[in-house]
This record gives sequence, C-alpha cells and structure tokens, in this order.
Amino acid sequence: MSKATLDPHTAAVARPGHRGFKIDPTAALALPAVLYLVAAYAIPLAILLFAAFRTPEGLSLANFAGFFADAYNWQVTYNTLWSAGMSTLACLVIGYPTAVALARSRGVVQMALLVSLILPLSVGVVVKAFAWTIMLRTNGILNQALLGIGLIDAPLRLLFTPTGLVIGAVNVFLPFMILPIYSVLRLVDARLPEAAATLGAGPVYRFFHVLLPLTLPGIIAGVAFVFSLTVSMYVVPNLLMGEQFMTLPRLVARSYLYFRNEALGSTIAVILLVIAVAVVMGSQYLIRLTRHET
Amino acid sequence: MPNETVPTFSPTRRSILKAASGLAVLGTGIAGFPSIVRAQTKEMIIGCAGGHVGWMNETVVPLFEKKYDCKIALEGTRSSVNLEKMRQNRDKPYLSVVMMDDPVLIQAVGEGVIEKLTPAGVPNLSSLKPGTVHMDGMWANYQQPWCGIGFNTDSAKAVASWADLWDKNLQGKVIIPSLQNTEGVWPLIFAAALATGKPLAEAQYDIDAAFAKLKQLKPNILNIYTQMPASFNLLEQGEASMLAGAFSEFAIPREKAGAPVALAAPKEGVGAMPSGIARVKGGPQDELALAFINEMLGPQFQEAMITKTFALPTSTKAPPSDIVPADIPVFAPDWGNVAKNRQAWIERFDREIAA
Repeated sequence: MSKATLDPHTAAVARPGHRGFKIDPTAALALPAVLYLVAAYAIPLAILLFAAFRTPEGLSLANFAGFFADAYNWQVTYNTLWSAGMSTLACLVIGYPTAVALARSRGVVQMALLVSLILPLSVGVVVKAFAWTIMLRTNGILNQALLGIGLIDAPLRLLFTPTGLVIGAVNVFLPFMILPIYSVLRLVDARLPEAAATLGAGPVYRFFHVLLPLTLPGIIAGVAFVFSLTVSMYVVPNLLMGEQFMTLPRLVARSYLYFRNEALGSTIAVILLVIAVAVVMGSQYLIRLTRHET
Repeated sequence: MPNETVPTFSPTRRSILKAASGLAVLGTGIAGFPSIVRAQTKEMIIGCAGGHVGWMNETVVPLFEKKYDCKIALEGTRSSVNLEKMRQNRDKPYLSVVMMDDPVLIQAVGEGVIEKLTPAGVPNLSSLKPGTVHMDGMWANYQQPWCGIGFNTDSAKAVASWADLWDKNLQGKVIIPSLQNTEGVWPLIFAAALATGKPLAEAQYDIDAAFAKLKQLKPNILNIYTQMPASFNLLEQGEASMLAGAFSEFAIPREKAGAPVALAAPKEGVGAMPSGIARVKGGPQDELALAFINEMLGPQFQEAMITKTFALPTSTKAPPSDIVPADIPVFAPDWGNVAKNRQAWIERFDREIAA
C-alpha cells in the first residue's frame, strides 16, 4: 500500500477515476498467465455454466431443481461434505500441533520436519491411495500396530469404510493445513505468550486467549485449502471406498464419461464450484474479521 | 579467397530446373512401385480394450503384420471411450477396426459408426458358432472370455454354486463388479436365476427378483469395484475370499503364475463375455481392416489368442477348448436388453445395493 502512494504509475492504477488513467506497463507481465487462464479456465467455466443452466426450453434452474428433487443426490452431497469436513477436522487436529513444533524447532530438526512435510508431496495421489489399500487391510500395518499396542483385541475393518477414507485423505492433504498455520506462527511474537505467563496465565489460558487468536488467519487459510481440496477429491474415494460411497466429483465423472449426460455433469460441477467458492470467500471474510478484531 | 573457405549457394535457372526434374522422377518412381514402397507405410489403427493390448501385441498383431506386411497401432482404452472417439471423428475416422463389448457395439450401431460385415469381405464369418454374429452382421464375436467366481484358495478349496456368495461366513469378504463394468451383469443375472429358480435365459428378464436377491448379499460385500486389478489384488492377499464375475483372461494367468487364486465355473453356469469386433464406417485401410477381422474370426488367430486369454474360441474350425467343463452351461445374455436397461439398472443399483 505504501508503494502505491509513492509510485505515480501504481497510484494511477489504484485510482481508476483519476484523470489521465494509464495501465501500469508491468501489468503486461501477467499477460501469459491471464491468457492461459482465460483459455484453460474461464472459457471452459463459461461453457460449463451454460450447460448447467441450459434446458430444451431455454436457460433455467430446472437442472438444479431436478438434481435436488432426488433424495439420493442429497445423500451424495452429504457424503461429499461429510468426508471433506471430517478430513479437514482431522487435518486441523493433527496439523496444528505439528505446525507449532515446526515453528519452535530450529536447525537440523526444523529442516528434517520441513523435508518430511514437503517430500511426500512429490508422491502421486494414486500411489498414496494404493499404499493405503495395503495398510488398511485387516492384516495391514495399521491393524497390526493397534493390536500390538493393545488398543484393539481383533482387527478392525478399515478398508472401504468412511474411517479409512478419512485416514487416507489426511495423509494426502495434511501439508496443506500445516504450512499456512506454520507461516502465521512464524510471525507471532514469541514474547506475547511469555508476557501472558508473567501475568499469571496458565498454558491452557495462554493457548486459547493468546496463541489461538493470533494464528486464526493461518487456521482459516488451512481449513479453506484442505476443505476445497477434499470436497473435490476423486482418486482417494475411488480407490479407498469403491462404489459404496458416492461423492459429487465421482458423480460428475460418471455423468460425463458413462451416462453422457452433459447437463447432469455440468450441474453437479457447478454445485461443487459453488461450495468451493463459498468456502474460499467465507474464509477470506473470516480472515479480514479476525485481523480487524486483533 | 572467401569462396574456398565459405561454401555459397547461388542457384541458377538451370540448376533449379535440374533439381525439379530430379524430384519429379523420384515422385513418379514412388507412385509407380506401390508394392515395394507403399506396403512399408501401410498402417492401421485399431481401437481395443486397454487390457487387451498386452496379449494382442504378443499374439495376433505380430502374426498379422508379418502376413500382410503392415503396421498395426493399438489404441487401448474403455469401449465407451473408443465409441466417443468414433462419434467425434465421424466425418474423418482414423480408426479402422474396433474391438468392443457387445452392449457398446449396440450403441455404435445406433450411432451409425460401424459398417456391416458380409461373408464376401469376411469369409470366416460363415464358420462361427451360432449366436456370435449380431444384428445381421454388424459385428461378430472373435472370442468368448468367460466369467465365473474367482476365489482365494487359502479360504476355500472350490466354489460349487453362485449361491455360495451368500454364505453367512463370508461377511465382508465378497467383491462384486459395478454395473458400469460389463461383467457387472453376472451377479445380477445369476441372482435372478437363484431367486426365481428359472433357467438363465428366462431369469435374466426378472430384474426385480435379481435386485431383491442381491440386496441380501449386502452384508457380505467388501467392495463394489470399477477397477478390477486393484480388487483382484485384494483377493490374492486374502482380504477378500470371493470375487464374483472374475474374468478368465485375468484370473487364470494369475493362478498359473502361482497366486493363491482360482477361477470356479459354478454349476449354474458361467457368463460368456461379449468380445466383439467391427469395421469402422468410412475408416481408412478398409481392405486391411476386413483382412484383420477375417483373421480374428479364423482358427489360426483364435488358437493363438486363447493361449493368453483362456477364452472360448468362436470359430467352429478352432480346436475345442476344455477350459470350461463340458457340463457347465456357457450363458450369453440378451445384450440388447442389457444395453437398453443398463442406465436404469445402474441408478437402481446405486440406491439399493451400493448405498
């Protein structure tokens, strides 16, 4: 912002009503990306939206009304939101303490933690999901570990269950929760919790009244990231759940590839898009709100 | 002396005319010797199932390329994807032959993208088993892979009947195919026969009874798959005990490789998979396409392919196969009825069985 007031070019861009409005020449640097996104995203999106609203009688909401008139589709929508919600919650519960450990560690330990976080991102989702089909078996490593430490007496059925799906999804999407929280935690002044402690605040009080409010923007960003990714996941439910747990992205694929029902596929895709956009915009609003309050 | 160190090119009218006449002679030469030059460039693209690419490249493709001095390129993918390619390229087809499941070929006929076969162009059409030439010659079956019940040999020694899938001791141990897959019809059809006691040919139309019986299987279902290899892996590892509708071309090679699996042919019968071959309408290399189809329907190629696919030959001239016991019926359903009702069945399956 300060640069905008110093740089006359930027200032002109920032105030379109200003006389002699000129486009900042540096904006041209974004041209390749803009052209790419227009061709690869904006135009297909426009076609998708058109297909979703097009009916033999003209443009209408009939496709959406038809979709929501079927109780089965409500179940599929619930499955999608449930799996995304549970995966996001699990990522948050596991990811927050990890981000704290990462932010407080130094040197080799921090490097090792970061590498162990980033490196798995280079492994494809299909490979990870296949690996989980092995680990979640009744004689898989997870059941053996639980049996070994005495938490269970008999192997649990995890494969092709919603629990197994959440476990697999957390493995894939956990870094997208940890990294935003970590980036915010790094900016938190370490003296603030210490100051609270000198004023008599216990660890729990310090966490809920000092650290948590300060890291809320990171949490919101992480939740938005993970929820958007898990609500649209296709490969993980396909491999870890089979046909027994239908989700919206899988219904989109089936509508296009199998039923050749473009209207249905586009309608579901638009519903998914609305969910994702609502999450992103909602998170932006919450971030602004928390900044305003702090 | 710059001309000695730096080569230069200064075309004169005479040199240009010389070069042009040389090229013209060369062009005439190429056109004048088609049997030598063109035969080497003959190439034909065949659309087939992704899973067929391996055995085709090992058996029939080398045989054909050698015999007809040409190159075959295989585009292995789902039948429905190949159909989409034919629809999209209707005006300028690039596939010459397609090998698809019968239900998809029925759609291809509806789309007008395949052309009728006649004994004049495909002489081997006349020596096929009854019931393997469809819709007055629009396509024919070049083999009949069969589907039974794949089972883990550590869990069971044999599977005598399709009713064994409903055994109370198999809770969470049975895998069935999705109805999106062609083999997905077998649990449904055999469930109808078990529920009604009717012969398969009649029972296949009693779909309400089939769904009611299949619903009783739900406690035993571990997974409903669309990708067979991953599910078959679960069978090999013992996570599942039975896989209903397992393919001969997939299960038997694994059994022979020493995996603890076997393919049972239950007493009620096995399902004949609809492996069809058709000529693309207006496709390139039409003569070569007809030759390929003819060879695929003949005894030599069928004998070669079934060494890998463990399917049943469709040519009456091919040596009989003992891969399925003689007393076990090999049932081919009314694929027209399947194609007509499949979408409605899938939607019902989603709601009543999968959910």
